[in-house]
Amino acid sequence: MKIALIGNQNSGKSTLFNLLTGSHQKIGNWPGVTVERKVGQLRTTTDELIDLPGIYSLSPYTLEEEITRNYLLNEQVDLILNIIDTTQLERSLYLTTQLLELDIPVLIALNMEDVAIKSGLQIDYQYLEEKLDTTMIRISALKKTGIFELIQTIKQKNYRQNQYKPFFDHFLEKNLGETEKELSGNHRRFYSVKLYEEDPVYEGYLSDQIKAQVKTVKSEYQLDLVQVIADERYRFIEMMRDDAIQSKKDKMTMTDKIDRVILNRFFAIPIFMVIMFTVYYLAAGPVGQFLTEFVEGGVESFSGWFDQILLNAGASSWSRSLVIQGIVTGVGAILAFLPQLIILLILIALLETTGYMNRISFFLDRVFQKAGLSGKSLIPFIIGSGCTVPAIVSTRTIKDESERQMTILLTPFVPCSAKLPIITLFAGYFFPSQAGWISASLYFLAIVVIIFSAFMIKKLFYQSKSSSFILELPPYKLPHFGYLTKDVGRKVWAFIQQAGSIILLASVVVWLFISFSFRLEYGVPIDQSILAGIGKLFSWIFYPFLGTMSWEATVSALQGLVAKEQVVASMAIIGGYSGEVSSGNFIFSSQAFQFFTPASAYAFMVFNLFSAPCFGAIGAMRKELGNAKKMWTAVFFQTGIAWVFATIMFQLIRLIGVII
Amino acid sequence: MRDKALMSLADLKRGQSGKVVRINTGNPAFRKRLFDMGLTEGVHVKMKRVAPLGDPLNITIRGYELCLRKEDLMHIEVEIGL
Repeated sequence: MKIALIGNQNSGKSTLFNLLTGSHQKIGNWPGVTVERKVGQLRTTTDELIDLPGIYSLSPYTLEEEITRNYLLNEQVDLILNIIDTTQLERSLYLTTQLLELDIPVLIALNMEDVAIKSGLQIDYQYLEEKLDTTMIRISALKKTGIFELIQTIKQKNYRQNQYKPFFDHFLEKNLGETEKELSGNHRRFYSVKLYEEDPVYEGYLSDQIKAQVKTVKSEYQLDLVQVIADERYRFIEMMRDDAIQSKKDKMTMTDKIDRVILNRFFAIPIFMVIMFTVYYLAAGPVGQFLTEFVEGGVESFSGWFDQILLNAGASSWSRSLVIQGIVTGVGAILAFLPQLIILLILIALLETTGYMNRISFFLDRVFQKAGLSGKSLIPFIIGSGCTVPAIVSTRTIKDESERQMTILLTPFVPCSAKLPIITLFAGYFFPSQAGWISASLYFLAIVVIIFSAFMIKKLFYQSKSSSFILELPPYKLPHFGYLTKDVGRKVWAFIQQAGSIILLASVVVWLFISFSFRLEYGVPIDQSILAGIGKLFSWIFYPFLGTMSWEATVSALQGLVAKEQVVASMAIIGGYSGEVSSGNFIFSSQAFQFFTPASAYAFMVFNLFSAPCFGAIGAMRKELGNAKKMWTAVFFQTGIAWVFATIMFQLIRLIGVII
Repeated sequence: MRDKALMSLADLKRGQSGKVVRINTGNPAFRKRLFDMGLTEGVHVKMKRVAPLGDPLNITIRGYELCLRKEDLMHIEVEIGL
């Protein structure tokens, strides 16, 4: 059996999915798009449960919602599991009235029923079940209650089969019914309604006869039928509400109390700044750095120990060099950042799951409005501080196409977690006492770059067209521990896999290129190696903000295209090769990189942070922007901006240095 | 009978509430979305709060919080009791 999990955004869908499937989950992508597709096996059954993107209605407003509708209409779904946030019953049932028009049975899971009761709601479920002809099961995804009952009900197929009960106005109902008979195939009631709503997607179904009928009905109501149909649904829901629900008026909820502070006119923005500063301070600042140094120490001892083993085993000097100076140095330089990555991912997941993210969109919308963006662009930006790829995908919730494209282009400017190693390495060495502030300054600079670029793009490409903004502020939720660990765990594992595959491979390639000359001689001085040859081709580009021709820094920055953390891996390999490998800052005390000054170090960070993202993110940009031309424009634009800002910062810091 | 006055939803003061009487939003897709979110004619709305920078606005409808920009709320007429 195939079960589709459907619900509004923020209804607790992901948490329920997790509870219902346990560890039997497969995560992939929807065909053709990069939106995450989660499929799992319903516990103790062989039934397949599909987690679909959250929707408010079967009339999709965003690309993401379209996926859900298409899935329901085109795949053979045997059961819709409709999760409803009981504290938002009215709006949630609007979707339910539409789901009931499909030829698929609907089973309702009433989530957060306990919270609703506590807030003073009294609900006559039997009445609702009767009116909608559907089975309702009360659950709490957070407290894990009602889950067993839900599974049993599905297993025993012990739910109502939904005989459609008419609720539209008599005249409309009669016409909808007549049109329904004209149609063939599945979901006739649904299509009939869509024809009356004059949904452009289904224009093809319109026969002349139906067209005439729609016109008659329209003139009868003297309103467009989209409005009539929506009104009718809500009228029906209000009727049920009045009969079945009693509520205590205006009770202050916990969410109201929190929002009094969080959304306070004077405190909202300072609180936001403190929260974001704390997030990055913990991840990129002293706490994360301390943990990173700890792991680095481990990697170093491992490296020494392993080298000894290889030596004892009689390994040749080149193979020892490949393993120790190539693989262990490269991969180890990356794995050292695991603690920082974990901290950052946990904190971002907390922002995402508690409901704070939507609030940021709300109070910062104004700032972005002027630049042709909206508060919705902020969600990709914040997710982007974890990884750019899912962030670019999350732009699918933005309705306006030019705003969406702009957001895609700007998201890579946000320093993603793979850029943390670069920040930590440079800030930790060149600004040891202010490392936390320097890291924070880069995030601040990212905001400046984003807003500056947005204004520029708006002027250049899109004429002043303002978009709309419509956003729900969901009640605050306590994070669900199981879901959080699974989510963070999955991302951390992906990072480790990347280190074990792409970074490992790239490290081997770097080692090969640094060990051999173009004439394939092994063990040449490194400035005659292939790597040096490639670097020298491009090092003039980096001259204006490094103040010197450095092929070493150039090739390392180029490798940022493979993965941003590879910049550090490459520097570690080159540094280790070109000088005494002593503990501590062997990279910057090596001959290759000792030219770095605070000014060029900062500028180099700026360039690596804002230039073209890694191939993974470029691929996501290409997919979401729609064509390669737009992708190339974006890549060159980003790199150009990075170059300009790096050069400005270099000259500026040098100037400050001269004055002081 | 109480006196009634018509005004735009964008002009409601914080804490003030009213009943939506007309939705004049032009853009069909956005208009449809407003209906989907429960902003229909006859619904009771309350101005909950204004964002710190003056826009967007946070209204309460059907027991939940919805945020929209002033520019979009201007096209929605509400009736308030005086």
